Amino acid sequence: MSALWQAKEIIPNRDIVVPGETIPAIFWNAVKTRGPKIWLRQKHLGLWRSWTWNQTADAVREIAAGLVSLGFEKGECAAILSNTTVEWVWADLAILSAGGVSNGIYPTDAPNQVQYLCEDSQTRYLFVENDEQLDKALEVRDQLPGLRKIIVIDMEGLHKLQDPGVLSLDSLRELGRSHLQTHPQAVEARTQSVKPEDLAILVYTSGTTGKSKGAMHLHQGLVYTVRGYSNLIQQDETDERMCFLPLCHIAERMSGEYHGMYTGAKLNFVENPETIPENVREIAPTVFVAVPRVWEKFYSGVMISLKESGAIQQLAYAWSICVGQRIADLVMAQQPVNNWLKLQFHIARLLTLNNVRKLIGIHRARILFTGAAPISADLVRWYLALGLPMVEVWGMTETCGGSSGAQPNRIKPGSIGPAAEYNEMMLDPATGEILVRGKNVFAGYLNLPEKTAETIDKDGWLHTGDIGKVDGDGYFFITDRMKDIIITAGGKNITPSELENDLKFSPYITDAVVIGDKRPYLVVIIMIDQENVEKFAQDADVPFSNYASLTKAPEVQALIQGELDRVNKKFARVEQIKKFFLLDTQLSAEDEELTPTMKLKRKLVEKKYASQVDAMYR
Amino acid sequence: MSTIPPAISDMPVLKLLNVESSYGPIKAIRGVSLQVRRGEIATVLGSNGAGKTTILKTISGIIDPRKGSIEFKGEAITAKDPAFIVQQGLSHVPEGREVFPLLSVHDNLLMGAYTRSDRDGVARDMETVYGYFPILKERATQDAGLLSGGQQQMLSISRALMANPDLILLDEPSLGLSPKLTKEIFEIVVRINRERGTTILLVEQNANMALNASDYGYVLENGRIVMEDTCAHLREKDDIKEFYLGLKEDGVRGERRWKKKKTWR
Repeated sequence: MSALWQAKEIIPNRDIVVPGETIPAIFWNAVKTRGPKIWLRQKHLGLWRSWTWNQTADAVREIAAGLVSLGFEKGECAAILSNTTVEWVWADLAILSAGGVSNGIYPTDAPNQVQYLCEDSQTRYLFVENDEQLDKALEVRDQLPGLRKIIVIDMEGLHKLQDPGVLSLDSLRELGRSHLQTHPQAVEARTQSVKPEDLAILVYTSGTTGKSKGAMHLHQGLVYTVRGYSNLIQQDETDERMCFLPLCHIAERMSGEYHGMYTGAKLNFVENPETIPENVREIAPTVFVAVPRVWEKFYSGVMISLKESGAIQQLAYAWSICVGQRIADLVMAQQPVNNWLKLQFHIARLLTLNNVRKLIGIHRARILFTGAAPISADLVRWYLALGLPMVEVWGMTETCGGSSGAQPNRIKPGSIGPAAEYNEMMLDPATGEILVRGKNVFAGYLNLPEKTAETIDKDGWLHTGDIGKVDGDGYFFITDRMKDIIITAGGKNITPSELENDLKFSPYITDAVVIGDKRPYLVVIIMIDQENVEKFAQDADVPFSNYASLTKAPEVQALIQGELDRVNKKFARVEQIKKFFLLDTQLSAEDEELTPTMKLKRKLVEKKYASQVDAMYR
Repeated sequence: MSTIPPAISDMPVLKLLNVESSYGPIKAIRGVSLQVRRGEIATVLGSNGAGKTTILKTISGIIDPRKGSIEFKGEAITAKDPAFIVQQGLSHVPEGREVFPLLSVHDNLLMGAYTRSDRDGVARDMETVYGYFPILKERATQDAGLLSGGQQQMLSISRALMANPDLILLDEPSLGLSPKLTKEIFEIVVRINRERGTTILLVEQNANMALNASDYGYVLENGRIVMEDTCAHLREKDDIKEFYLGLKEDGVRGERRWKKKKTWR
C-alpha cells in the first residue's frame, strides 16, 4: 500500500486459512499445503539462510521424536531459554507436537529466576541457547531434581563438555532420527493425541510485586485467538514479518510465531537485539508489529538526521509531514481525499517521505502495529502522516495478546480501538476498569487458584487492571493502570501515563516514571535517550565523559527541564511536574529496573531510588 | 613503582573539550572530553580502533579536529601547526617509534632538540637521557635503524625528552616489546615523571601495565569515553577486570567463553 486513503483496501480475512484445532495440528496441516515454500529466515555469519515449511517440519519432527525417545511424556513441561531465533520456534513446535507444555524463559533472566520458573512449571527438559544460558541452568541444576536434560542449541565453545545431563540440539535430532526409524509414527501419534482442551503454553507475567505468575493457555484458546487475529492483522503468504521481540512474551509468540504459522507469512529473525535497526532495513517488513519503544527509537533517529540536514530539506520535510497529516485527518474522519491533495502527497513522498520510510525500513510496509505498552498519540499521528496506518492494539498475557484494535482506515490516535470481533469488552460500572470476556481469555494462573479467582469473576469477565473510557463509536481509551493512579496529598487524581507518554515523545527522553502518590506535588524520574542527548551535548559543546557526567551536565538538565516545561503547559497547575531526576546509570535488559520490553518498572524504580525521590520533596 | 610522586596540581595542563576527529567520513573519536593535570600520568585505555592514537594525533596537531577545542597550559592549541605545538612544550612519542633510521642515535636525539636554542640545556638533557638509557650512549654513533625494537622505543622517548617538554604524549610504548622490556620502559616512564615532573598522557592496550603506572585513567570505546576514574578505582571495576585485565570467574563449568555485557559503572 502506498498511501493512507487506500487503507480501506486492507480487509480482514475471516476464512479459516489452515484447518486444525490445536497448534501442532495447524502446523502440520500448514506443512502439507505449503511444503516447499519458504517460511523462516535467519541471518547467520552475515548471510540470510532460509528454511522451507518442509525443512522446518523435518527439524520439528526430529526434535519432537528426540524428546519422546528421551522419555518426554504427554502433558509434561519443557522450557526454552533463548533469544528469539529459528530454533526457538522449532523447539516450541516440537514440544507441542510431542504433546507437551511449552514454557518460555527470558534470556535476560538471572539464574535464580530460571530456577523459580523451572520449578514452578515443573520443567523436565530445558532448551538453552548457548554456553552463557547453559551456565545459568547449570548453576541451579542441583535445586531442580525434576529437570532431566538440558539441550544446548549452539554448542560453540562447548565441545569439551562432558556432562550426562547436557546434550546438543544436533544430538537430540540424531536421537530423534533413529527413533523415527523404528517408530515412524511416533510424532504423528503424539500430535493426534493432543486435545483442544489440553494445556499448551505457559507465559509468565513479569510480576512487579512478588514472584511472576504462569498464565496457562489451552490449545483451543490459542487456536481461537490466532484465527481471530486475522480480523486485526491482515497478512498472508506473501508478507514479510520480522521476528525480534522475545518469544516468551505473548505479543511475538501470538502475532509473530503462531499467527505467522497460521497465515503463512514469512518470519525473518534478527541477528541479535542490538542489530534491530540494520535488520529492519534489510528485511523491510510488509506487516510490522513492534512495541512503542521501537517506534520511539525510529522516530528519534529520523529527528536526529533531520537536524543534521540543510534548511531546504527541513522545510521540505515540514511541508510533507503537513500534507500527510491533513490526509490522515481526512481518512480517519472517513472523508474523501481530493486529487489535488493526493498529488501533493505524491510530491511529498518523492521529496522526503519515501526517504524517511527507507531510513527506518518501513518502505514496503502496508500496515504497522503497536502494542504491549502505552504509546503517545502524537507518535501514532506521525506514522499516519508518513502515509502508513498504525494500529494500536491493546491486550495482555491473560487475553492471549491483542484484544482490541481499530481497522486501518478508522484509527483514532490515542485510542486502543474497539473490542476485537472475537471478544467482548466493557467497563466495570463501579470502577471504570476494563473487563474482557471471550474464548481468548486464559485458563488461569498455574498453581494459583486464588489469584485466578481474583482475576476472572464468576461471569467469566477478566479484570484487566486497566482503567479506561469508551466513546460513542465503541473505541476504548486507556486512562491508566488501576494501581498506578496517583492521588496527591491535595486529593487530586492523576493518571501518570498521560504525562509520561507526552514526555516520552521527546527524542531526549526514553522513559519516565511520574511519582506523587500522597505527596504535595508531582515529580518524575527520567531515563534519557543516550544517543540523542549525547548528540545534543556535542552540538552544544557541553563537556562530558561518561553517562553519569552527561546526566549531571547543567545544559542537559536545562534541556530536560525545557522538555518538561513543554509537557507541563498542557496540564493544569496541580497536574504539573515540579521536579525531575535523571537516572545516572545506563540500564540494560539485564537490569532489574527494566521490563523485557525495556520499560521502567514503576514500583521498583520508585523504591530503588527512594532517596533521590525524597530529595525532590525537600 | 618508584620514589614519591610529585605533587599533582588541580590545574589541568591539557584539556580536551568535545573533540571530534574523523578520517574522511569515518568518525574516529566522537566527542572526547578529558583533562590531564600537571605532574600526573594519565592513561587512555582502549582496544584496537577505539580512537586512542587519533586523540594523541589530534592533540599534537597532526590531525585537525572537526569539532571541539584543545587547551594546553591555558592556551588554545586547537588545529595549530605541530611544530608550534612542540615549541609550547608538548612532545609526541608516536606509535611504532618512528625513529630516523639512517641518522645516528646522537643525531636522532638532536632532532628532538631542533626547536631549542639553549645549547647548554640541550647538552644537559642529552646527558640526562643517556643516564636513563645507558645503552643509547653506547650506541650513540650507530644508525638508529640498527637498534632493536626496545632500544628504538628508548630512543623515541629520549628524542621527545630532548625538547624539554612539559607534557609527553606516549603512544603505546609496549608495542612489539617483550614483557621484560615493557616493564623496563614503564619503569623509566614513571621515573621521568617523578624526577623531572613531566606530565605524561599515555595510551596503551596493555591495561595492566598502564593502570599500574598511571594516576588517572580514561576508558575509550568506539571513540567515546565510557569510564574515568583514578587508576586505583578503575582496577576494582568489574568491567575493567573482565575486559581489560582478563580476570574473570570461571563459572560453573570451570571455563567460561562468553562475555558479560559491559555496563561501565
